[in-house]
Amino acid sequence: MASRGVRPQPRGKPSGLPFHARFTEVAAQAGLRAPIIYGPPDRMNYILESMGCGVAFLDYDNDGWLDIFLLSGTRREGPIEGATNRLYKNNRDGTFTDVTAKARLGRQGWACGVTVGDYNNDGFEDLFITGWPQNTLYRNNGDGTFTDVTEAAGLLHSGKRWGSGCTWVDYDRDGRLDLFVSNYLVFDFDKIPPTGKDPNCNFKGVPVNCGPRGLVPERPMLYHNNADGTFTDVTARSGVGSVAPGFGLTAVAADLNGNGWQDIYVACDSTPSLLFHNRGDGTFAEQGLLSGLAVNEDGSEQAGMGIAIGDFDTDGRLDVLKTHFAEDTVALYRNAGHLVFEDVTLRSGLAVETRYVGWGDGIADLDNDGQPDLFWVTGSTFPEVERKHPEFPHRTPRVLFRNLGGGRFEELLDAAGPAIAEAHSSRGVAFGDFDNDGDLDILIMNINEPPSLLRNDVRGAGHWLKVKLVGTRSNTSAVGATVTAAYGGRRQALPVLASSGYLSCGDRRLHFGLGSAAMADLEIAWPNGVRESVKGLRANQLVTVKEGVGVIGRERFGS
Amino acid sequence: MQGQLFEAAASEFEQALAINAADPKAHFQFAVCLLSLGRNDEARSQFEQVRKLAGGSRYVTYYLGRLDLLSNDYASAIKRLGSVVEDRPFPDTAFHLGVAYISSGDVAAGTKWLERAVKLLPRDYRIHYRLARAYSNGGREQEAAREYDLYTQLRDEHKNTEKEVRGCTSALRAEPLAAQEVCHRIYDPNDADKLTLLGQLFGDAGAFAEALDPLTRAVQLDPSSFEAWHNLGVTYFRLNQYKEARAPLEKAVALRPEFYGSVVLLGATLYMLGEDAAALPVLERAHRLNPADTQTAAVLEKLRASQKKQ
Repeated sequence: MASRGVRPQPRGKPSGLPFHARFTEVAAQAGLRAPIIYGPPDRMNYILESMGCGVAFLDYDNDGWLDIFLLSGTRREGPIEGATNRLYKNNRDGTFTDVTAKARLGRQGWACGVTVGDYNNDGFEDLFITGWPQNTLYRNNGDGTFTDVTEAAGLLHSGKRWGSGCTWVDYDRDGRLDLFVSNYLVFDFDKIPPTGKDPNCNFKGVPVNCGPRGLVPERPMLYHNNADGTFTDVTARSGVGSVAPGFGLTAVAADLNGNGWQDIYVACDSTPSLLFHNRGDGTFAEQGLLSGLAVNEDGSEQAGMGIAIGDFDTDGRLDVLKTHFAEDTVALYRNAGHLVFEDVTLRSGLAVETRYVGWGDGIADLDNDGQPDLFWVTGSTFPEVERKHPEFPHRTPRVLFRNLGGGRFEELLDAAGPAIAEAHSSRGVAFGDFDNDGDLDILIMNINEPPSLLRNDVRGAGHWLKVKLVGTRSNTSAVGATVTAAYGGRRQALPVLASSGYLSCGDRRLHFGLGSAAMADLEIAWPNGVRESVKGLRANQLVTVKEGVGVIGRERFGS
Repeated sequence: MQGQLFEAAASEFEQALAINAADPKAHFQFAVCLLSLGRNDEARSQFEQVRKLAGGSRYVTYYLGRLDLLSNDYASAIKRLGSVVEDRPFPDTAFHLGVAYISSGDVAAGTKWLERAVKLLPRDYRIHYRLARAYSNGGREQEAAREYDLYTQLRDEHKNTEKEVRGCTSALRAEPLAAQEVCHRIYDPNDADKLTLLGQLFGDAGAFAEALDPLTRAVQLDPSSFEAWHNLGVTYFRLNQYKEARAPLEKAVALRPEFYGSVVLLGATLYMLGEDAAALPVLERAHRLNPADTQTAAVLEKLRASQKKQ
């Protein structure tokens, strides 16, 4: 993480347009009261303590309601009571019940990232968790319990490694989810230089934890699913291992050039971000620089943390938003086709905000006006700094940019409800409709505090459509599919992701705000390359589409 | 650090304008500081003020063009930067013009100006990157690959230098005596920019004797480098070698006559050499550039008084 000292651009005159989404913090009333422990509360002596972890919305019991999975860290001095990963079951009344023990998911350690997907195609979502010093694969038994199958699956690695980003990805289109893992850096409590040791361990003249600069970067890894519950390390064979080491964080898999094969994008912290272009023959070519996704428009690498994939300009192509450190802008990359991306951060109006360290993010239509908005959470990595520099507070607000159309965005400071301005040191973020009311709510990891659950109550007349895909020849989770919705003269693409934001995973039911359009047509590109169309869908419903079969379910929420 | 310096400078120019609001030079310097601080609207208003007070100049047009670019007004940026690019006020004029064309969607024209820019500033990795992107967008893959290679090489060098600078700064702070070895990793006898940087790092740490060699070599390599001449002059001045300080400061003032720091130091050097008659007009000019500097005003008063006596 490093600041580039970028000054914010001046803010224009507010548009004055109403914003119809309103967010309210409901975590406590929903029963999400346990703090997420991650290092000491008042200082961060080690970079491991400062990076935090991800969160997930998933439907682990297939009841049609989103449950919540929260990762957790611990403290160096030893076990901390209550510090554990937690699974919360949705009670379908706005509250959740902690079912961690029942699900056998309780574990204390330094969890980092999570990816959700049905790797054994049994119809239930499984969990893969990265962390230090070891990663974990939990198989969903389908009866409300999970089993740690890391060793049996061949995913236990030797020695200590800091797994960070992770994503399920069917890179070879064999219908089974493979696994990509990015590794951050070589870490050992006993070998990391002490706080303030050298110039890499200082921020604004204040001694802080060291890294990532000055520490040893790592390479990512790729595991092939053998279809028998085990995985084979194909890092070298696939070309993934041939890249220069970097400080890899969030990893996201999607078909970015629409050629039917999953590409993988990795946000790297202070080293060029990586784009693995899927050659379609089991190998990848790293094309970060050629695609324009490695660095910003001036050719400078940024402190990449979170990645959002969506279609902000509704042109039917998947664009990318990446978050960075304070005194730098986020990067918004417009997909120009053929795996070429254009950095449009400045011209889109996003450079007005450079105050905070950005983490989990999303390109999501929060007000159902048919144009995806941008959201990210923030929080400093150096709590010590604010004592000397109050302008760099540890806890900072959420950031929301509403889409004005024409490629322009406007930051909303107060117009989307009080929960946006609340200050926390946040990391992971997941988007999903936990109360099944036709909008997108937001789940947020806050360091050493309970999580935030921002309930969205959309007021205006904007319509919506949710799409759930069930794979048959493709993986059952349909991870890797892309759905393009045509409505009101727009074409918006959305991918089914197994990882997004910062080390997190959101609702895999795709949410399209439709604005005033009452109907939409869908084009579905399944992960195995097959395309299907569904025409004339009415707005304001969840449709379930089964691969090769068509619409198998329609649900109007609240009825 | 740089931001703090610009903030301090902006505050000084603001004070100067409070004394004399009709001084176009102060408006100009204030505007440049504001632009560096990202206060673009205020910067624009100050540049407009300069235009009102002193008429148009290619410098003002250049900065207004850059402000247009930052506010996404590509047509105006192209018009302004295009009007001064042949008689460019700064070497990066063609770069910004190229960026304006590309942002406006005219990749062919943008590429042309970036090609011009890269010849003027061959070591600027930003330009190579932009040019590589432009070639790539235009389907000129071979040329793109060449530019990507150059970008990567220069970016790596830049990062390496940054690392060495951090090491040198830290060593100078912790163990000045042992810092020589660490800092000399930056020493490249054929790179004037690196030599100037090294001299500056030594100077910032008060190691003026060590700064002399790299700065002397830097001015030999690049006699048009204002920074090298100015820093060499400052170094001799801080070593109380006023005789030696004079020539470098004269060179610096010749290259940037409006830079208060060089002008006042040259005046002070002449004063220390006892050349009061030569010092007086130089210090008067310094005072005009920065009327808020009370020390200069006091010396001037003294000089004028002694001249009257004579």
